[in-house]
Amino acid sequence: MTTINQNCYDSVTEAIRREAAKLLQEQTVAAVVGYVAGRRPGTASPAVAKSAEDAEKLVFSPACVNNLALFLSKAKKGIVPKGKTAIVAKGCDLRALAGLIGESQLNREDLVVIGVACAGVFSAAGERSLPLSDANIAAKCRECTIHTPEGVDVVAGTLPQLPDFDPVEAKELARLEAMTPQERWAFWKEHFSRCIRCMACRQICPFCYCEQCLCDRNRPQAVESSPRPAGNLAWHIVRAMHLAGRCAGCAECERSCPMDIPLNLLNRRMAQELKEQYQYEAGTTPQEKGPLNQYREDDDQSFIK
Amino acid sequence: MSRIGVFVCHCGENISRTVDVERVAGEAAQLPGVAYSCDYKYMCSDPGQNLLKKALAEHNLDGVLVAACSPRMHEKTFRKAAQSAGLNPYLCDMGNIREHCSWVHEDREAATAKASDIVKLMVERVKRGKALAPITVPVTKRALVIGGGIAGIQAALDIADAGKEVILVEREPSIGGHMAQLSETFPTLDCSQCIMTPKMVDVANHPNITLYTYAEIEKVDGYIGNFQVTIRRKARSVVEDKCTGCGVCTSKCPKKKIPNEFDQNLGMRSAIYVPFPQAVPNTPVIDRENCTMFQSGKCGVCAKVCGPQAIDYEQQDTLVVEAVGAVVVATGFKLYSIDRKPEESPIKGYGEFGYGLIPDVIDGLTFERLASASGPTGGKILRPSDGKEPRQVVFIQCVGSRAREKGISYCSKICCMYTAKHTMLYRHKVHDGQAYVFYMDARTPGKGYDEFWRRAVEVEDAVYIRGMVSRLYQRDGKIVVMGSDTLVGVQVEIEADLVVLATAVQAQDGADLLAQKLGISYDKYNFYSEAHAKLKPVECATAGIYLAGACQGPKDIPDTVSQASAAAAKVITLFSKDQLERDPVVAKVNEKYCVGCLQCKKVCPYGAVEEKEIRDRQGNLVKVVANVNAGVCGGCGTCQATCPSKSVELDGYTDEQIMAMIEAL
Repeated sequence: MTTINQNCYDSVTEAIRREAAKLLQEQTVAAVVGYVAGRRPGTASPAVAKSAEDAEKLVFSPACVNNLALFLSKAKKGIVPKGKTAIVAKGCDLRALAGLIGESQLNREDLVVIGVACAGVFSAAGERSLPLSDANIAAKCRECTIHTPEGVDVVAGTLPQLPDFDPVEAKELARLEAMTPQERWAFWKEHFSRCIRCMACRQICPFCYCEQCLCDRNRPQAVESSPRPAGNLAWHIVRAMHLAGRCAGCAECERSCPMDIPLNLLNRRMAQELKEQYQYEAGTTPQEKGPLNQYREDDDQSFIK
Repeated sequence: MSRIGVFVCHCGENISRTVDVERVAGEAAQLPGVAYSCDYKYMCSDPGQNLLKKALAEHNLDGVLVAACSPRMHEKTFRKAAQSAGLNPYLCDMGNIREHCSWVHEDREAATAKASDIVKLMVERVKRGKALAPITVPVTKRALVIGGGIAGIQAALDIADAGKEVILVEREPSIGGHMAQLSETFPTLDCSQCIMTPKMVDVANHPNITLYTYAEIEKVDGYIGNFQVTIRRKARSVVEDKCTGCGVCTSKCPKKKIPNEFDQNLGMRSAIYVPFPQAVPNTPVIDRENCTMFQSGKCGVCAKVCGPQAIDYEQQDTLVVEAVGAVVVATGFKLYSIDRKPEESPIKGYGEFGYGLIPDVIDGLTFERLASASGPTGGKILRPSDGKEPRQVVFIQCVGSRAREKGISYCSKICCMYTAKHTMLYRHKVHDGQAYVFYMDARTPGKGYDEFWRRAVEVEDAVYIRGMVSRLYQRDGKIVVMGSDTLVGVQVEIEADLVVLATAVQAQDGADLLAQKLGISYDKYNFYSEAHAKLKPVECATAGIYLAGACQGPKDIPDTVSQASAAAAKVITLFSKDQLERDPVVAKVNEKYCVGCLQCKKVCPYGAVEEKEIRDRQGNLVKVVANVNAGVCGGCGTCQATCPSKSVELDGYTDEQIMAMIEAL
């Protein structure tokens, strides 16, 4: 089993504290969105540091699973005080920030991004008392392409040598791909049938920032709101479609799902579609227009029969 | 409860043949919210409309559905009728049971059921309709004319003479277009430049015309009455305001051996040049690709000799934005050419004519330059290869045109006449020369045209051979033309000194790109499409944009000028009103729920969506939302389909209406 040296997280923590304290002392920012250690060992929770003292409490560890970009989106307005904000961002959070900037939800000038060299975080069910290893690392981190942050204001920490992890999610995707449409349909039908419509996937998604979700509307009602097969299916299709080309791949939806629906598989499948059809990937650079928002002469039109 | 009236039309027999209209009306009467229903033979007729008006009053109806033809056909008719009876016209809708039903089905039973369904769902839509008021938009009384050939010049002068401002944009350094290149014009043989250049000067001097030469259309935003056009003024490297047009720079320029495009590459010009002596404006332009200063950084002769110091090597392209209310597109044509890159040519299979390989095989426009008094030979007909006077000239018509198998099925229209003209010009200059013409048909409709052609044959002794040429090849300094005379039924072989091909008229390069910027349609040959072939020949389907000249299809000068004046008349008509009325079917944003992701702004093809800041009473920013400019909105509904939170809706097509329609089925 390959274990990741815990020291790299400590160096990130140190750098974050130093940078956050400086930013807050110099009043460059009104707040720093980061993580603090949780009450139980092996946990961490999002926190907003508003003073240099608060900054001393910030940490970075494999337990820092949350996508903090969520707290800057409109859905969570009021949590972060007004004014310029600093944010601690892992690679996946960076993609979310870029997406939110591209969708006019954030201004890059109002942000100080403290990008962390992130070796990975715990999976939802992983044992947290042990150091991060092959056994308890999140599936998304196994295939992460931005361990070292890009386009940020400050880079915190340095990355250790990382082992090659088994890409379990990619394998699962390939397994689904190899199924017949009927088998795949049965696979998703089974998963969606367990959905209790708690909407945790929506609430935790940095891109679900609508003030009123289409699925909560009742005049006219587009999506049935009670947890029944038709409405469940409709909701998950709406979610997947709305995230196509936007999803940052943080897999927070899947982590927060109490029914263990493998939502990130769906997200990744849509991303793959966008890549194949339009050579487009959600990245760390804000895009003016996604491929689904524009018409190009050379767009594939073979689907029009 | 609604009180809706349903009127089912027979359309003579068009609908009643396959749809049981009485049953449709009967079933409609049973629908909840329908207070009255009937059927009638011709709802659009005067008695039909009166029936509607009477029922509106008698039954106190609050909504009307006419189940008949396409709304494109008669929506206006019925809305007007409903309005005259006191109903808001937007509460009157049409259910299409003709194009969508009776015309496309044969099974009477099934067609009747479908017609009933159409009525059922449309009733749901009418029920949820809103009374709307038309939107009025102001008209900017300035016109843009794109293209400075005879079409653009005529349109610009006509509009300007009516007292309206005109922006005339020309891609080349001078206006004049193809007509300025011609020697004489059919059917009167008057000198082209003599009738063209005064008009060019009129354009330059007209107080109402702003002329941008060496400029192209970069972007077109807006809509009828309110276009914003971005024009790219390409860097001339000569400051127009300072230049006096003295011509010292062009005469002193050390680089003089550049083929002159205006003379079809026969003559030479310098790197800083005026395309032709009568150019308007008479301001030179530096051809940066050929200028030593731009290529190696060493020269600067023109700057040194220029008295008013008008040369500016640092000049950059500039963008100008002009607000106009109407656009006349007059971008003209080009001649089909296979000389340079035959493999990229859309028309295959004229290799046998040796065009581009044999120097003495030229096209019609090159012949015009040879015959022109201002041309490279001073008006003498001389072969490009050795400068000798040709004794026998063969003209070949329909090269490219009317050859479906080779890519172009249309007739280029002008070639029969200009070839006849060429034979005469040749005869007038080379008295003992002989002209031969290979032709498919001589097409000479037009005032004085057939007489002109007969004169070429009967008086000027041109030999017309009905048939096509199979091959050209060089032999002993001559070009051997092998063809057939299909009237006599023999093969003919002519030793020619010069061969002139009447190549097809094609749409200008980039015509499709300009059409995309303007949002107008074009055919498979890139000629622009008029709104109606007979009744709207100068209008585009896009409101406020008009066509003039050969950009719409091959045209001769008289037709082009007529159409340009017609387009100008349309523009002047548009400008006679201060306000335009527009359909109120536009998108509206629900500001409460809009989160300002502005996806709608990104997808809007009309540029109608802008950001709007919502502030509280203290002036603090509450949020940014999308806002639709009703004047610009085209009512396409793309924003409605895109909005993730469904916070924007199209009046008349709200989600509530659409969902109710679906649920009614």
